[in-house]
Amino acid sequence: MSEPDDDSHAALLAQSVDDFVKRGTSLARVRKLRDDPAEYDRTIWKTMAELGWLGMLVPEAYGGLGLGLSEAAIVARGLARELVPEPLTAAAVLATGALVAGDNGALQQSLLPQIVAGDLLPVLAWQERAGTLDVTAINAQAIAAKGDWRLNGEKRFIAGAAGADGYIVSVVSTVAAAGLELYWVPREAEGVALRLETLADGRHFGVLTLNDVLVPAAHRVAGVAVARTVLDQAIDHAAVIVGAELCGVMGRALAMSVDYMKTRVQFGKAIGSFQALQHRAVDLYVQQQIASAVLEEALPALDRKPDAVTRAALASRVKARCSEAGLRITREAIQIHGAIGFTDEYDAGLYLKRAVVLAAWLGNAQEHRRRYARLVPPEFE
Amino acid sequence: MGQTATMTDYNAMSDDAFRGEVRTYFEQHYPQDLRFMARRLRWAEIRDWYFTLSRKGWIAPNWPREYGGMGLSPQKMIIFLEEIERWGIARAPDHGIVQVGPILIKFGSDQQRKEYLPKILAGEYIFCQGYSEPNAGSDLASLRTAAVRDGDHFVLNGQKIWTTLAQESTHMYILVRTDTTVKKQAGISFMLLDMKTPGVTVRPIRNLAGHEEFCEVFLENVRVPAENLVGELNRGWTIAKALLSFERINIGSPRRPQYALKRLAQLAKSKGLFDDPGFVDRFTELRLDMTDLASIYSRYVEIVKRGEVLGQDVSLLKIWAMETWQRLTELLMEVAQEYGCVAGEIDIDGVKVDVLSPFYYSRPATIYGGSSEIQRNILAKYVLNLPS
Repeated sequence: MSEPDDDSHAALLAQSVDDFVKRGTSLARVRKLRDDPAEYDRTIWKTMAELGWLGMLVPEAYGGLGLGLSEAAIVARGLARELVPEPLTAAAVLATGALVAGDNGALQQSLLPQIVAGDLLPVLAWQERAGTLDVTAINAQAIAAKGDWRLNGEKRFIAGAAGADGYIVSVVSTVAAAGLELYWVPREAEGVALRLETLADGRHFGVLTLNDVLVPAAHRVAGVAVARTVLDQAIDHAAVIVGAELCGVMGRALAMSVDYMKTRVQFGKAIGSFQALQHRAVDLYVQQQIASAVLEEALPALDRKPDAVTRAALASRVKARCSEAGLRITREAIQIHGAIGFTDEYDAGLYLKRAVVLAAWLGNAQEHRRRYARLVPPEFE
Repeated sequence: MGQTATMTDYNAMSDDAFRGEVRTYFEQHYPQDLRFMARRLRWAEIRDWYFTLSRKGWIAPNWPREYGGMGLSPQKMIIFLEEIERWGIARAPDHGIVQVGPILIKFGSDQQRKEYLPKILAGEYIFCQGYSEPNAGSDLASLRTAAVRDGDHFVLNGQKIWTTLAQESTHMYILVRTDTTVKKQAGISFMLLDMKTPGVTVRPIRNLAGHEEFCEVFLENVRVPAENLVGELNRGWTIAKALLSFERINIGSPRRPQYALKRLAQLAKSKGLFDDPGFVDRFTELRLDMTDLASIYSRYVEIVKRGEVLGQDVSLLKIWAMETWQRLTELLMEVAQEYGCVAGEIDIDGVKVDVLSPFYYSRPATIYGGSSEIQRNILAKYVLNLPS
């Protein structure tokens, strides 16, 4: 990332997000896509590619912008304010991040330009069970098959899978140098089956089944030497960008609630004049400010590429705080709005449901606090 | 001791060199047995340190050098405060340094500056703050202590309360009512009062921690020379509200509760509580509340370092810092189990800890300096722009 351009990139991206949310998306579109198994709109995805957003974390050599998480967070936060359903974090941060960090130059050369152009949408299939961020806690296997590999296993909680063109799948290879590896598996490969679980916000988690799926060695995204590091880093980075999304969601939900308090009249006064409600809103504001302060402190620190423990600890702080604050603010938004808040027609519920999904994905607050406790022992002296 | 202008230009030093010099000095000169005190120290305990700093020229880091201060830039001032906290240096009676000095420099007369500033630096004048009254707490502007002009004097009648360490102070800076016919904020004046003036009676009040730190001060026909009025008549409210940025963020410093957190960690370890996932969850939540407080604190520190004015949103810092501190002291008490009600420093499984002092002293933290409820009112009104 080139230092002197940091601010101008940030300003340009912020501007492009502003323009996009004014013209390219609306909550009506978000509502419409809730009932659509396709989940998102590939023409919008193309637009996002043209704006450079899909290549933010991709080196310039592959057609990307070569920027950092600080810039990715600007876009993610801005889009989340309008609940844009396209899987920016799942594809452009989590999956693309893993591919970029992998050790297969030829595969990067062939896939990254298509990804940046929006023609190929990848997602990462790393997780098999809930409640752990341990990337080695998997059963999926790769068995050698005459120079190629045969993959078997089941992957879960795959965000963005609904319309993805392929999956970066983690497996344990069973040859001499046994260990974790990542493979690129196109959607149409034989033996691949995808089932969708509907989420609170109308989007989906993919459940991916690999049944003797044959992949060439050339599709190895990351070998044993780097796969674990690649996955850990991609998940940490994505967790932070999910934190940015949560900041966008909670910011909008809080603004919506405060506006409602100024206009809703009961007992002859705006309900925002009642101290009980004022203090409630202030407590939400405090949490929102803390969440955004943690995020804003973590982003530049992460862009300076710290060691793995520091990176994971920062990611856990961001994901824990933003998940907790995001859920609290969107829950209380319903309370502040009263009965109207409980209707599907009113938008507050959309924000609550998105927060529920973002808080649960890639480790909820509790899980990240526990990981932080393991990573950073308390000081005793 | 006169007005000794500090010769060193600390702002010309590199941050690291300055921090190193301050740290070394504190480590070498601050009494070891007064580090990380759970209570406010009395003048008899802390005055040697006050005089030491005074001789060193470091007692007023915030004052301009021409008045005998260190003239620190915001950046250097933050470093100075960080080192004070790091070494657990107790708060000396600092109202003269923190409040009166800057107020006189900004609003006072030449005569007042010449009279008071050198004596504050020397520790000869110790100020207490005469703001709160029995019926003017959170609603401070409704204060009623009257100052009526009589020739060359004002005659003061009324009562102040919650005046910290008034019994050890030589002077009080006081808000008094000088006009009862206008809006309440517009009839208040700011004066300096010599505590030895006839008619001043100080009665210490014992607090929950068992210490006599705050007082009632009764004023009965107290004659204050008219030249002790600071700034214009009836402009006292503006003067009192002109708080320094440092004071507004210092109260939210995440380092204050660090010591209690370490004690809690030690105690929990000796009791084997880190094998209890339920405890670890609660402990980690609290730890992260403090770690994340540090993130938002440093956001405000950066604003101050840039020399910008803090917005009303800084109120959130006090709310979060003080409420987090309280929860920390509550967990410490819980972990101490039956010892949680034993007074004074005790030895629990090899850990020396005073459980009750932090618990007591964190109580008024959400009351003084604008209660948590007042801070929330401020945020609701000025930041969220909610109607009244």
